[in-house]
Amino acid sequence: MSKTALEGLRVLDLTQVWAGPTCTKILGDLGAEIIKIESGRRMDISRGGTTANSGAGLYPDGDPGDEPWNTSGLYTDRNRSKISACLDLTHPKGVEVLKKLVEKSDVVIESFRSGVMERFGLSYENLKLIRKDIIMVSLASQGGSGPERSYGSFGATLEQTAGIASFTGYLGGDPRTSGTFLPDPMVAFLAIGIVLSAIEQRRTTGKGTYVDLSQREVTTGVVGEMVMDYTMNGRKWAPNGNRDNVFAPQGVYKCFGDDSWVAISIRTDDEWDTFSEMLNLSLEQSHTFSTVEQRFARHDELDRLITQWCHGKDAHDVMHALQKAGIPAGVSLTGEQILADEHLNDREFWEEVDHPMVGRRPFLSRPFKFSKHPASTRSHAPLLGAHTEYVLRSIAGLSDEEITELSDLGITSNDPTAFGPTAF
Amino acid sequence: MSLLDKPFSEDLPLSGVKVLDISQGVAGPYAAKLLGGMGADVISVEPPIHGDYARLTPPFFEDDPHLEKSGLFLYLNTDKRSITLDLSSAQAQSVMKPLIEWADIIIENYAPDTLENLGLSYKDIEKISRKTTLVSITEFGQSGPYKDYQGTNLISLALGGLLQITGDVDKEPLKVGGRPAEYIAGLSAFSGAMIALYAQRASGEGQHVDVSMVEAIATAQMYSGLNYAYLGENRVRANDIAPMYQVSNGHVGVMYRQGNWDDFCDMIGRPEMKDDERFIDNVARRENIIELNQIVSEWMIKQDKTELYHLAQGQRMPFGYICDAEDLISSEQYIHRGYFVEIDHPVCGKLLYPGHSFFWDGEKLPMERAPLLGEHNESIYEALGFSKEELSALTEKGVI
Repeated sequence: MSKTALEGLRVLDLTQVWAGPTCTKILGDLGAEIIKIESGRRMDISRGGTTANSGAGLYPDGDPGDEPWNTSGLYTDRNRSKISACLDLTHPKGVEVLKKLVEKSDVVIESFRSGVMERFGLSYENLKLIRKDIIMVSLASQGGSGPERSYGSFGATLEQTAGIASFTGYLGGDPRTSGTFLPDPMVAFLAIGIVLSAIEQRRTTGKGTYVDLSQREVTTGVVGEMVMDYTMNGRKWAPNGNRDNVFAPQGVYKCFGDDSWVAISIRTDDEWDTFSEMLNLSLEQSHTFSTVEQRFARHDELDRLITQWCHGKDAHDVMHALQKAGIPAGVSLTGEQILADEHLNDREFWEEVDHPMVGRRPFLSRPFKFSKHPASTRSHAPLLGAHTEYVLRSIAGLSDEEITELSDLGITSNDPTAFGPTAF
Repeated sequence: MSLLDKPFSEDLPLSGVKVLDISQGVAGPYAAKLLGGMGADVISVEPPIHGDYARLTPPFFEDDPHLEKSGLFLYLNTDKRSITLDLSSAQAQSVMKPLIEWADIIIENYAPDTLENLGLSYKDIEKISRKTTLVSITEFGQSGPYKDYQGTNLISLALGGLLQITGDVDKEPLKVGGRPAEYIAGLSAFSGAMIALYAQRASGEGQHVDVSMVEAIATAQMYSGLNYAYLGENRVRANDIAPMYQVSNGHVGVMYRQGNWDDFCDMIGRPEMKDDERFIDNVARRENIIELNQIVSEWMIKQDKTELYHLAQGQRMPFGYICDAEDLISSEQYIHRGYFVEIDHPVCGKLLYPGHSFFWDGEKLPMERAPLLGEHNESIYEALGFSKEELSALTEKGVI
């Protein structure tokens, strides 16, 4: 019970923004040692830059403080359970130290634009010379080959180029994106298993490996049936609002209160019978909707009936009443509500963490729980370069003189303002 | 080597890892597909007669509803073998016991307590095989006040907080297309299984992994809870993360970044905008997004989506363009990397499928078609010690 699930695993984390950091944060929660490499010259952009008006940060109570790069919520959420070392990889001596760390690590994971690691002299071929069984995972936007290999992206643009946005949107409306960067966590949740598959392969064969992953391709992977309908039938999907392809009705309905909504899905004829009683439909009226074909054909009419019924009702009351009758329903939770949600709190989904500059705030946990290895936030997100000296001395094995030299050359500087303003 | 093992297995990352997939639908089968794609030996146990309910779910090949023609099933069940078994039958225990002993990982997505009634709860499994991990996927998880509530993809998006931040502020919250909650839970279950396997290699013990779709979405969307925790404000629905513009033949998406701003102004032929106070940084642009969109839209409408995408990316602007299925299939990038793979199937013939999203040591791992319903009954039941006569007797009874 006392041992963590991933004890003994050391990961050199050269990722930034969202996908890579989320992957390594969860590996860290489960006990892997995560060494996050940034530099004063080139920080993770989710730190939001040196000035608050870059627009990339999310600061505690809106106050960036003196070191906005250490307080941005986007950074602090995705980088807990890691240690931070500053190492300027544009300097050969920085690369030299990184190579020493590769020697002591199981996994190197990176999300630079394709080609950047080669330019640093840190291609897989080079890493293999340093440590024969090293595992390297690249999370490039488009992968490491092909005409678009050097293209960049963010989660929102990946939703566009991978196919999801083409059929996300209001009924008959324009394509839309999710309002968050959904491909990033998808890549993160896949990459955890990819890293551990490579570890399992190393365990049985003694060999390391190089994984060249394309974030865009991962994202298309979650809309497989949309692609299959095209390759099977030549059909293209269009936005269909909140409706389902298989059952009806389904929708999101206005309840009492500002921006308060409940989602309802009726999957079967039996569920419809139960629901139509709750809607106070006459038996006669209910029967005109008794098959799913009828309900699809007159979905607009059903939406009006359900909207009327929900009018003035509390969204939570509607959810509980429908759920007690066995009907899938859920409140469209706001940020405030999701933090207070009784179910998530009963399952201890939120993890409160003390952070020296941010204070105590709740953070996301993980999409899974383990019966024998309870995971947790092991430490708050590190201040930029907080563990540089520890990493250089205890892991890379550098001497005091070497550490001083790196510092004098600015290679380990943790002061981003020394390099001029950076912005997203 | 057990008689149950897949014959002639190749040398793949997870060769030797044994997975029993008793799940149906999307999330569980997707997790098992990912494990199978890595080379794990996956035996899928389907209900007799109709099989996994995904077999009954559209889209169907040539729009013909048929157990072997569901595009959803064909996609989600590559790299598996299929047997049929009624888990509620009296004989199920004797079949399941050796399969549980064989498996490193079992994946299921029944409602909580259902497995207990079938004698297949983690407690039961642990007694049969200490090394085996059970991965359970449900909407709400194995505990908590909503544990027995009913869910769908949409309900998970709602209670996971994603629904509320997708769409327009003056309209109802909007779902993301497809089945994101189920797929993201599937990705989580794949990784959860691998974490448990890593721990098992050290301790020899399996465990129970509890994956919740609501929590998968809550973890994935990230913004809403964090926004409130940091600012005490609810994030509102807005289309401002990466505004999309109509072009002559579709839509293009723009990420406004400071480092690209001057080049962007030049590209749209408005160099004077570089110093315009209204658009001087990300904060200002967000405040004046309506005016900005008006100016940009006028230029955009004359552009071609792929030409513009390449032009912008060539200048390091991370643009996107809306790809539908046809755009994906014809994408030079996807073609170059061989992302779509042609797979032959005895009923549907040769079709293109989305393939692996990565190269493994420079190679694409192989991908085998989904099994026909009960395709491997004979070989697997024989390996379990059933005679041909016993097999046909059980088939007649509807157990297999």
